[in-house]
Amino acid sequence: MPHFIRGRGKMLAIATLVVLLSIVPLLGNNYYTSVLLIIGIHAIVTVGLCLLMGYTGQVSLGHAAFYGIGAYIAAILSKTYHVDPWLAMVVAIIATAAFAFAIGFPVFRLRGNYLAMATLGLGIIIWILFRELDWITGGQSGFLDIPTLSIGGFAFDSDFRFYYLVWGFCLAVMFISQNIVGSRMGRAMRAIRDSESASQSLGINATLVKVKILALSAAYAALAGSLYAYYVGFIDPPPFGFLFSIRLVVMAVVGGLASIWGAIFGAASVRLLTEFLHPFGDIDVVLFGLIIVVVMILSPQGVIRGLGDLWRRISRRLTPS
Amino acid sequence: MATWQLVQYLVTGITVGSIYAIVGLGFTIIYSVTGIINFAQGEFVMLGGMIAFSLIGLGFPMPVALILAVVLVTLVGIIFNLVAIRPAGRASTITLIIITIGGALFIRAVAGLYWGRDAVALPPFTGDESLSFLGAYILPQSLWVIGITAVLMVGVYLLLNRTLVGKALKAAAINRRAAALVGIDARMMSLVSFALAAATGAVAGVVIAPLSYASYDMGIMLGLKGFVAAAMGGFTGVWGVFLGGLGLGLAESLAAGYISSSYKNAIALIFLFAVLLIRSRRLMVGEEGA
Amino acid sequence: MADILQMKGLTKAFGGVIAVNELDLEIHEGEIIAIIGPNGAGKTTLFNLIAGVFSPTRGQIFFHGQDLAGTNDYQRARMGIARTFQDVRLFGNMSVLDNVMVGLHSRSKYGMLSAAFRLPQGHREEASIRLTAINTLNLVGLGQRADINASELTFGQQKLVSIARALATKPRVIMLDEPAAGSNVLETQEISDLAKRILEMGITVILVEHDMRFVMGTAERVVVLDSGEKLAEGTPSQVQNDRRVITAYLGEQEDQI
Repeated sequence: MPHFIRGRGKMLAIATLVVLLSIVPLLGNNYYTSVLLIIGIHAIVTVGLCLLMGYTGQVSLGHAAFYGIGAYIAAILSKTYHVDPWLAMVVAIIATAAFAFAIGFPVFRLRGNYLAMATLGLGIIIWILFRELDWITGGQSGFLDIPTLSIGGFAFDSDFRFYYLVWGFCLAVMFISQNIVGSRMGRAMRAIRDSESASQSLGINATLVKVKILALSAAYAALAGSLYAYYVGFIDPPPFGFLFSIRLVVMAVVGGLASIWGAIFGAASVRLLTEFLHPFGDIDVVLFGLIIVVVMILSPQGVIRGLGDLWRRISRRLTPS
Repeated sequence: MATWQLVQYLVTGITVGSIYAIVGLGFTIIYSVTGIINFAQGEFVMLGGMIAFSLIGLGFPMPVALILAVVLVTLVGIIFNLVAIRPAGRASTITLIIITIGGALFIRAVAGLYWGRDAVALPPFTGDESLSFLGAYILPQSLWVIGITAVLMVGVYLLLNRTLVGKALKAAAINRRAAALVGIDARMMSLVSFALAAATGAVAGVVIAPLSYASYDMGIMLGLKGFVAAAMGGFTGVWGVFLGGLGLGLAESLAAGYISSSYKNAIALIFLFAVLLIRSRRLMVGEEGA
Repeated sequence: MADILQMKGLTKAFGGVIAVNELDLEIHEGEIIAIIGPNGAGKTTLFNLIAGVFSPTRGQIFFHGQDLAGTNDYQRARMGIARTFQDVRLFGNMSVLDNVMVGLHSRSKYGMLSAAFRLPQGHREEASIRLTAINTLNLVGLGQRADINASELTFGQQKLVSIARALATKPRVIMLDEPAAGSNVLETQEISDLAKRILEMGITVILVEHDMRFVMGTAERVVVLDSGEKLAEGTPSQVQNDRRVITAYLGEQEDQI
């Protein structure tokens, strides 16, 4: 049996997800559809961050940069240079992954706190570039009229259509990630997380593994970024800044750093909280700060796992032994 | 190239450099005692400036408002340590990074809700009539910043080297387990280091606010620059971080003056990567894992 | 007998402290050799030099006659030099079997692409990795514990898993850093037997150990280090009767035993 549907819980979760995904857009409410669509896009980035932080043990506080690079490359190629949007998307993904691969070697000479600071700084530098290189990016006034994707004559021009496109990609990314985590590569990743020196003593080139995972997660982020650009049709620097990098960390933490399917839960929780609390200003960010502190102290493996453990403890106490 | 111009840039550089040095001092104190890089350090600076602003608005006399602001931020540092750092115990580096980021996010967002998004200015401590020096203009507040930084640096140096608390902090910094064996409570030392870092951060906030506006979102860049100063100083001792801060401040001010002010932040980031890459060479043979 | 490892003038200094000093040493292929010496004699530093964790300040190391200079730890592991750690360093959040399967990483090659799309090559390799790992785990007697979390094992069992993990890399030589430390008499005997079984598999064994009874009962040859220099070398009984060794090391050690 394939690895990703081992266990009844997981199968149940996937079934629920599929049902939810197919029902919601049929309700015909564009607001719900667009919220769920954004959740799908964010979940794609979050999974990549989970692979890097949760499974490989390497912090990134600048992941929004990859998301932004993907969005800008796709937008600029398809609009300014009239490249076919699909091709532009492929180029964006490959170029972002290549960029991540190249910076990975110097960056991963750093560990822990220093790595965190370096990625934070890199994210800020790239964000400054989005803003300052205004002759290509449009700078602060943004980049308008990005074309949308289409297959033959079928254009993904409505929320409803784009929704299925995004979730198709999202589920594909989930399966691919789940497969990698359960493979030889996934073992090497977890080995590096638990003890880098021991993993190297067994013949694993830890730096190369980290760089590959960084490139993969950058590719995911670029995929999500280009989907975002095509969906909204307009991009400007704010959504790709330092705060979004931190927001991605929140999504990963809530879903469970070392959990693939948890990324959807994390992305959904964060997005829904923001939507519900929208009328009250930035109170969602206050909660995000609180939530990640509480989750890291009480249940570093994520909210779902934490609630599961809690439930087991309660039910054990209730059943007389 | 006019001399007065150069002098002007140097004065600006030393002034902001002093601030970076104080922020960096906070990083150094916490890191050397606990091994934690406190990503909320910049938020202590922001809180210092903003709280002082509010207290002055409430009618407190200036000196009282400033001191009270520092005291309140120190309390925030203590509370942060008690509710977020202590319960985490001996957690992994990744966990602690995320916790201090959570704290930073929380403080920043609360500040944004309470004070709004607009920048605020504190009145200067003693008038805003500039003094003339070699043709350059120096605001009295610059002298306050430089003077208070010097006093603070000497004060922290004496505290660390001449008092019992300081010796306990240093012992905990050198070897936590050995310190525990001679009866030094590591959790208490962690608390003291956070209190001290919050207090110094707040001082930086109140002295700089009259010169460059304070706003809820100033913490991140100030924190990053303070970290650069601390990293340049090697996270040990007071004088390294002092020189690191001054070096960064001067480089930034000269680059802004002679090249372009839009590259000001880029200078700090270049310094960041330079210092990280130099340190990484030493870290290569470093201890295990993240 | 051919030498599998040769150290020539090997020196390692940390700042002003010289941990290994002008060491000339040959390890013969197909022997169990023990490196002993008081604390700080440079034993673990020697392991780290051979494993490629540190590069020497001066001197050379040859493996099968080939100079190891310029190769790092994971490359040496792939060449056939395996080691364990004094502080074990198991992958604590992984199952016992997974720990051993990690050891087979460099002896398999299917990549991220086959993994991502579950291509047949990955399936085949994964099946053989699993089988080999179970066999290796059985070799150290822990086949029954394959599926539990590595951190739930006792310290002695963790040491055995770390040996299995190192064996999974299919080494030519294995360095065991204090394999018997913290073990009781029975476990110590098992580890001694295991070392001999490893030797029968054609793998040269280098031990660092403090337990003299274990060393005398296991090793064919003993090298005594003191302050990073070779003090004596010979069969266990020769070394035991060497006056310099007795004064420098064994005398002091005898009290502890």
